[in-house]
Amino acid sequence: MKYRILAFVLGAAALTAPLLAQNSPLPLPPPVEKELAARASNVTEVTLGKNMLGFAARFMNGKDKDEAATRQLIQGLDGIYVREYTFDKDGQYSIEEIDKLRQYFETSEWSPLVRERERKGAESTDVMVKLVNGESHGMFILTVEPRELTIVLILGPIHMDELGKLKGLGGLGALGSVEKSTKNKDK
Amino acid sequence: MDDFEQELRQAFERRPAPPNLKRKLMDRRADQRRTQQRRSHIQLWQRLAASLILVAVVSSAAEWVRHEREEHRQGEAARQQVLTALHITGHALDHLNTQLTAHDRTEQRQGDRP
Repeated sequence: MKYRILAFVLGAAALTAPLLAQNSPLPLPPPVEKELAARASNVTEVTLGKNMLGFAARFMNGKDKDEAATRQLIQGLDGIYVREYTFDKDGQYSIEEIDKLRQYFETSEWSPLVRERERKGAESTDVMVKLVNGESHGMFILTVEPRELTIVLILGPIHMDELGKLKGLGGLGALGSVEKSTKNKDK
Repeated sequence: MDDFEQELRQAFERRPAPPNLKRKLMDRRADQRRTQQRRSHIQLWQRLAASLILVAVVSSAAEWVRHEREEHRQGEAARQQVLTALHITGHALDHLNTQLTAHDRTEQRQGDRP
């Protein structure tokens, strides 16, 4: 009887696990994030799933150009995952920790779009894109500064032309041109 | 005149009441009382039902307003989170742009050197 119950529980878990995984495509934070958060003086965490993004889109002002473009952008997304860590002093994280974060996305699905390293090694930026049938279905940005670390993960179809419309949101509007300039560099 | 007097006398002549008149009158009065009681009962239930409906409508309206306010508050928080996320992303990309521009300038300078 005990084995039957165990088999039933395992069977149910095996059936529901993929469903749960589909509902929450955002990854679980790697353990290194916890360590970084513990050392940071300021942490900003934003985790928004598909449902939450859809809900937020309903409250975007359609009259405002930026918000209208943001609404169009987020409506099709599966999730946004942002972590920003600010440190009081330099050297609060190691290169190994940064490599661990990079390795998290160094899979065959993700292709590097930009890999910028400062000569002294104190600053770096990685932009990786998840390509599905030639279209970007995800973006990972890792910016490393001596006292700041930013992780951005956007999942779902991202249209660069839509990002270009977001002029009021800092560098987002420039992402289209970043992609163009990197493409030109590749040529 | 005699005829008239006779008619008058006949009209005022005392006649005995029908034997079941009193019972009929008492029955009719009891019927009326029962009908009146039933009506007042129905009216009481109607008033009670109307009060209950009114309470239900008012509390539903209050709940709807509370729910709308709560949903609006949550929506506003979600909207702010999206904007925060996009601002951080924008900041990261600004940083990338600066790095790329600096990189381009260095490359250009190195290229210009003989």
